[in-house]
Amino acid sequence: MRGGSEASVEAEPAALRRTLLVVDDEVRILSALRRTLRREGYEIVTSESVHRALEILDERPVDVILSDQKMPGMSGLQFLAEAAVRRPGAARLLFTGWTQEIPADALERLGIVALINKPWDDAQLKETLRRACDPDAPPPAVDPANPPGLGG
Amino acid sequence: MSLEGSVVHILVVHPGRYSEPGGALDPGLVACTSSLERLGSGVQWEHVRDAERALALCVERRFDLVVADAARGAVCEAILAGIDAGGPPVIVVGEGLSDECALEMFRRGAADCVTLKPDDVEALPIAALEQIERAREVRQRGAAERRIRDLERYTENIIRNMNSALLVVDPDGRITYCNAPAGAILGEDARALRGREVWRWFGGDSATILSQTLANGSSTKGAEQVITREDGVVIPIGISCAPFVDAEGARIGAIAIFQDLSEVKQLQSQVLQTEKMASIGQLAAGVAHEINNPMGFVHANLAQMAEYLADVRSVWERVAELLQSVESQDLATIRKSADALADHVREVDLAYVISDFGKAIRESQEGSERIRHIVQDLREFSHSETGERVLADVNQCLDSTATIVWPMMKQIVNLEKDYEDLDPIACFPMQVKQVFMNLLVNAYQSIESAVGESGEMGTIWLRTRQRSDGVAVEVTDTGVGILEANLDRIFDPFFTTKKVGSGTGLGLSTSFGIVQRHGGRMTVESKLGVGTTFSLFLPTGEDAGGLGGFGGG
Repeated sequence: MRGGSEASVEAEPAALRRTLLVVDDEVRILSALRRTLRREGYEIVTSESVHRALEILDERPVDVILSDQKMPGMSGLQFLAEAAVRRPGAARLLFTGWTQEIPADALERLGIVALINKPWDDAQLKETLRRACDPDAPPPAVDPANPPGLGG
Repeated sequence: MSLEGSVVHILVVHPGRYSEPGGALDPGLVACTSSLERLGSGVQWEHVRDAERALALCVERRFDLVVADAARGAVCEAILAGIDAGGPPVIVVGEGLSDECALEMFRRGAADCVTLKPDDVEALPIAALEQIERAREVRQRGAAERRIRDLERYTENIIRNMNSALLVVDPDGRITYCNAPAGAILGEDARALRGREVWRWFGGDSATILSQTLANGSSTKGAEQVITREDGVVIPIGISCAPFVDAEGARIGAIAIFQDLSEVKQLQSQVLQTEKMASIGQLAAGVAHEINNPMGFVHANLAQMAEYLADVRSVWERVAELLQSVESQDLATIRKSADALADHVREVDLAYVISDFGKAIRESQEGSERIRHIVQDLREFSHSETGERVLADVNQCLDSTATIVWPMMKQIVNLEKDYEDLDPIACFPMQVKQVFMNLLVNAYQSIESAVGESGEMGTIWLRTRQRSDGVAVEVTDTGVGILEANLDRIFDPFFTTKKVGSGTGLGLSTSFGIVQRHGGRMTVESKLGVGTTFSLFLPTGEDAGGLGGFGGG
């Protein structure tokens, strides 16, 4: 089984690379996300454990954090609240299954920029992450009937 | 001769003068009144001289007796005509009453005819006493009859106006009484039902309660059964039967009171359906959550594998080019193709692509295997609902339910199973599983409320035990517990402590109903802050032995 906090370094100029921290207790999800995002230019750091993820946040700067909501020991919302204290500048995104209801005021309070439903749409995920990294970038031309996962 | 102390009022109609001062006394009148006075001090008599005045007085006051002088036939006739059957008896007196005259007076309604003779002064008082007593008897009998009639009408009104159907049958089951609601339920006019045998409606299984009452005088309260009307309509009824006992204590039939439960049953089934939908919702939520993850990565992996395949294909195109250039035997062309291939292999990171392709396939296979497992669990959970009782292993019911809800709760719950080998019971397995699911989801939600997001775990214990006449199941949690004040109400429909939208308030009442319909019991014990135990008992079932003969136990 793959190590929980292994960092994969892609061959991209360091100055342009953003660091993405993905936290999910399901190791296959982490593996699949690495595959999906491998050409997106992120330095991808993953962790199966929230506690290890908090250590990672203490150890190094992170630009974007994507966390699952339902995890043992700590919910994604709690984790992102802790993460906001450690890395206030990082954009925070939450993975949700459709069974959990996330109160809107909690999202606002914790500064969570997007909810992403599982199973996710690859193109939407990529676009959502791109905009989370660079909120000032012009929105891409998308089908207005099927907008990317922001607020989903 | 006696009036037993009571006062009698007698009206004497006689042309003679009596009380007027200075008037000549009529000897006939004197004979009459003096002989009446022999009746005793209780006699109060009044004297009038004409029929008109007599009838007016009779309307004004109540007289026990009218004595009229026959000397003036027209007066007598007028009086006899004016006093009806309900009025006082009339005795016609005369000094020499002819037989024809007497006969005529009798014919016109005289109670008696008495000839006043100086040597028979007792004749009038005897006749008067007789008539007074007879009249009194008639009056009393009339009053008694009126009371009985009123009472009958009163009871009849109660029976007719009561909402419940009432049926009285004789020892053979023939209907001796039937009120209108009973007629309405049986689908016939209530009056037409008397004398008919009740078994045509209360046939088959439904006969047992009524026939038991007839056979051994037992009483049954609030039993449920169905009756089949002549038009084929089957009506569920709630029925209470009691033996019909006469004043001497002899059983002369049975009394049945029943209500049409069609509407109640319909509501019940709606409630059941609502709760079933809610259960399915819970089930779907649990299953969806469990499918989400494998679905998520299988889906993402497939997209990526398509890209990997494109990469491999693009490498293959360059390999094909290289092979073609080898055929040309031109070294420069071959080198150029080989360089392009090498560049491209580097560019697409072929070594990584190939190794990760294999990994992606393995991981996706594992994911789809997980989904297949979930579907299998679901099939296991939901199969075998035939609408009839079947023999089922309660351990299996409990296990397959736990398997379904487990993924939903695994992050905060330790599940401890303590099963004993159980004899199969005759039950509706899907309904039993619905009860288990409800208890498990409640236990989980209670633990969720207790541990919050603290990272702590709760425990759910599942215990099963074989009892001599059935199976005992306990579901214990370390959740928040139930307020003592709420313990009595948790099985009530629509009672919920969950926030709006989280529960139907029907889960436990439905579960309770299911357990009851299986002839079982369900109880709860709870301590606030410690946890809750739901205990249920499911009987082996009367016909369990008959179902294939392997009921055993």
